[in-house]
Amino acid sequence: MLRRQAAPPPQNSPRRSLWAVYKSVEPRHRVLLGMAFMGFSMLGLWVSDKLEELLPPPAESRVTQPQVIVLKEGTDTSQGVPQLLSNIAACLAVCDTIRTTLGPRGMDKLIVDSQGRVTISNDGATIMKLLDVVQPAARTLVDIARAQDAEVGDGTTSVVLLAGELLKEVREHIEEGVGPQVIIKGLRRAAELAIGRIRELAVSVDRSDRAEFRALLEKCAATSMNSKLIGSQKEFFTKIVVDAVTRLDQDELNEDMIGIKKIPGGAMQDSLLVDGVAFKKSFSYAGFEQQPKAFDAPRIVCLNVELELKAEKDNAEVRVDKVSEYQAVVDAEWKIIFDKLDAILAAGANVVLSRLPIGDLATQYFADRNVFCAGRVSKDDLDRVCEATGCRVQSTTTGLAAAHLGTCERFEERQVGGQRFNIFRGCPQAKTCTIILRGGAEQFIDEVERSLHDSIMVVRRAVKNQSVVAGGGAIEMELSRYLREAARQIEGKQQLVIAAAARALEVIPRQLCENAGFDTTDFITQLRARHAQDPERAKWHGVDIAEEVVADMFAKFVWEPALVKINAIASAVEAACLILSVDETVTTQKSQDPMAAGQPMRR
Amino acid sequence: MSAVYTTDEYGRPFIIVREQDKKARTSGIEATKAHIMAAKTVANIVRTSLGPRGLDKVLISPDGDITISNDGATIMSQMAIENQIGRLLVELSKSQDDEIGDGTTGIVVLAGALLEQAEELLDRGIHPIRISDGFEQACKIAVAHLDQVSDVIPWSKSDTGDLFKCAKTSLGSKIVNKCHDQFAQIAVDAVLAVADLERKDVDFELIKMEGKVGGELADTELVRGVIIDKDFSHPQMPKVVKDARIAILTCPFEPPKPKTKHKLDITSVKEFEELQKYERDAFEGMVRRVKECGANIVACQWGFDDEANSLLLQHRLPAIRWVGGPEVELLAIATNGRIVPRFEDLSSEKLGRAGTVREVAYGTTNESMIVVEDCANSKAVTVFVRGGNKMIVEEAKRSLHDAMCVVRNLIVDNRVVYGGAAAEISCSLAVEREADQVSTIEQYAMRSFARALDAIPMALAENSGLPPIETLSFVKSQQVALGVSSLGVDCMDTGISDMKRQFVFDPLISKRQQFLLATQLVKMILKIDDVIVHKNDNQE
Repeated sequence: MLRRQAAPPPQNSPRRSLWAVYKSVEPRHRVLLGMAFMGFSMLGLWVSDKLEELLPPPAESRVTQPQVIVLKEGTDTSQGVPQLLSNIAACLAVCDTIRTTLGPRGMDKLIVDSQGRVTISNDGATIMKLLDVVQPAARTLVDIARAQDAEVGDGTTSVVLLAGELLKEVREHIEEGVGPQVIIKGLRRAAELAIGRIRELAVSVDRSDRAEFRALLEKCAATSMNSKLIGSQKEFFTKIVVDAVTRLDQDELNEDMIGIKKIPGGAMQDSLLVDGVAFKKSFSYAGFEQQPKAFDAPRIVCLNVELELKAEKDNAEVRVDKVSEYQAVVDAEWKIIFDKLDAILAAGANVVLSRLPIGDLATQYFADRNVFCAGRVSKDDLDRVCEATGCRVQSTTTGLAAAHLGTCERFEERQVGGQRFNIFRGCPQAKTCTIILRGGAEQFIDEVERSLHDSIMVVRRAVKNQSVVAGGGAIEMELSRYLREAARQIEGKQQLVIAAAARALEVIPRQLCENAGFDTTDFITQLRARHAQDPERAKWHGVDIAEEVVADMFAKFVWEPALVKINAIASAVEAACLILSVDETVTTQKSQDPMAAGQPMRR
Repeated sequence: MSAVYTTDEYGRPFIIVREQDKKARTSGIEATKAHIMAAKTVANIVRTSLGPRGLDKVLISPDGDITISNDGATIMSQMAIENQIGRLLVELSKSQDDEIGDGTTGIVVLAGALLEQAEELLDRGIHPIRISDGFEQACKIAVAHLDQVSDVIPWSKSDTGDLFKCAKTSLGSKIVNKCHDQFAQIAVDAVLAVADLERKDVDFELIKMEGKVGGELADTELVRGVIIDKDFSHPQMPKVVKDARIAILTCPFEPPKPKTKHKLDITSVKEFEELQKYERDAFEGMVRRVKECGANIVACQWGFDDEANSLLLQHRLPAIRWVGGPEVELLAIATNGRIVPRFEDLSSEKLGRAGTVREVAYGTTNESMIVVEDCANSKAVTVFVRGGNKMIVEEAKRSLHDAMCVVRNLIVDNRVVYGGAAAEISCSLAVEREADQVSTIEQYAMRSFARALDAIPMALAENSGLPPIETLSFVKSQQVALGVSSLGVDCMDTGISDMKRQFVFDPLISKRQQFLLATQLVKMILKIDDVIVHKNDNQE
């Protein structure tokens, strides 16, 4: 016994391999050992799963996990209600930016872009465009502002505010778990009701009564100018705008036919409306100053012909065999241009305009023969000259006859500010006119131009569609009251949604008050009460900024075309619905092409 | 502001605006205050150059070019201001320069003063729009008042005394006031020479300014004709041509070439000789044509080679080559000639006529110029400015331009107001009177407007070394007591404060423009409450 203990086999105990040990164990123990091992590893897997759930791994480490890759690497996906809420938050943030520009006491924004260009604007669409928004949901708002701008030209700020406010009001319903589709349905219903009500309320002005019709247009133009830089010169500019629009062809109302020329210098009040065409003197060659600068009843020809001595075809080459032929080639070239010039003269023109350059030779030729010429006239200017004087742009001088010429009462070159202008006045078929804008700084004139554009669009709309509603938040308050009442008769969740839409509409008067520095709550409650007490008499009551009271805005002549409001409500609701119907954003990573960046795929 | 960087309820940040980290943004009242700050700084720079005793500024461009100027628009545009609001002020003085040509310093000082006043009102919690409404109202009153106090000054082509005085007022603050009378006379004469009195139109393109360093300011003269900064093409040509008949050509003095690409294959010696002969014939033909039509001088827009040059010399035809486009035109207008595009069209009635054409050499530098005088048509004139150095010549040119603009404005509209800040003080009084009758908050803004108008006489007095507040209060009380609106700041210390007697005039349209433009710009600046600046990468 002792001996066995004292002398163990020396090669067995330390050198025995694991396998040998395992083999030496009893089979029953071997099974148990194996099962314990399996149990332990199962536990390990379970624990690591749990840990993973508790601590989500950073995004890049996800790639290391075995997973099925459906979308391109780096694609960001987020979904569900949180996504919806974050979209709404983004839209509200954008709304906050332009909130302060609404109304007559609204402020402007100064935006400097990466090229260092400065824009100062009060126009919602302009600001939204320059903000360069990338958040996909918020971009919808930019789009509706631009759509409103293209469609009716005015009310771009209101449409964004309205959409934002709708989203804000329905957010709590989303948080409470109301299905987005239910809300969308409700909002659509509310929009239908509101638009129907506007149609009911809108006041039509009879177009046959000229004076009254003009007064309508002037009031609409003035309302749209209120919030702009030119607000203080309202009377002056409304006259210009209405004159300009009424001068157009009343059926077509092509706004391109109103030319706007900007000349720095002078005060705003020095702006003028030319009942014809005006454009800046183009580059001229020597001899130009010797041409006559004024004509009564000029005979105008518009060309698209280059009047220059030049190589006829770029890749042509003349081979001259004999020296004597040399002169012949030169003469042939001269003949080509002189033929053109003679043809123009033979037709009896004394004002020659061309889109292409008029060279020094032609300039001097015309100067010799008491003809005025201007080359490199831009296309839209030339088009307007044609429209005004009744000539057609000629692409060749062959066969040019007196019938192709246009005329007007007077043509002259005049100094306006630091520049010389060619002015055609008193045109026979003047379906066109030109507004010459003056102002202290370039940015200033730019903003005046944008404001005038808005007014022109509004007046155009008013000419086509003569019904108007009252501004100053009056129509919004009335709609809000109407919707609130309508909501009570509807059962189910829709009631909540329509009531929310009613609240959202109040944002316009509220913001008007806020920007003007009035007591917002006071004014809104007062308005609500008035509209509720006597819906018929108080239907046009809104905020009168100038007098700081609640007043009948229709009587104050703050009028807006009904179409502007209809369009604003329709597109705001559309945008809100669109944003609500999105529950997942999939953003593919920026590719090499910079144009593809920020173009999200929506599902 | 939250729109730039936002996190949603779950704490996830999201980006709304592209590259928002590169955008700087200020908003609300701070933005307005920052603008006012910037504008004030800019206005203070030019403030000291206002008035007859105002001082000049030296501006050094990045290339090391030095400009010395007293002209507001020049100083502003050379300063290369980065700040957006500062840039607006630059534009402001530029548009005053384009439209009126004078009063570019005054307008910036006025805008600065208005903004300074607006800042105080903002501190009192008045809404910026209310302030700008008040300014607008006040501006209307001031402009209406200007009309009231304006006087019509009579002038005619023969009686230019009053035009002369106005030109003198404008030149008063400039470096050239050493030769005050002479420069004023030049400005008046030059403008009257080209003015179209019936249409009340003055085409400045017909007035050319040439400057040459050397001599002194007093040597500056008005040439009733054209100066061409060129010399005769051959040194042996006669330097003076009397009773000149000028052929003005825009074609080169060389054998006519087709514009189309061409190729002439010369295969034999004979052909080569023929070509030579053709060229020589062409030259001779040209010279002959010129000679035949009776010209005794040739001005050519292009050059000609030595062969033609010596041919011309042989035929005793002095010629000027490489005359620039605008000069060709001026020459043609001045001499009543026609620009001839090719030799075939030359005829004697197309020649321009001038009394004398002479080449004048200056100093020891071998530089010379061609002076065309006693032209058939005196509609084109040239002012030839001399001065000790380049800076002075340039500044003298600018000063003359300003003075000419003043004269032009008077030809367009001959109403004047009185200088020496008399008009400003009188308007300030008028606005203050009216302000008391306004019942709303705008009253405050209107009073501030009146105070801002006082900034101009203050700056004038300060620059002239007078005690500003005392001077202002003295003039103001005198205006009220005597009811005379032509009392102003006596900058030159002559003891007369009646600007009517001192003959200090400003055109009405210039003052009116200053008020209107400055007010409009200030309104625009006050209306901004949000600034988004996209920074450039290299700036960071």
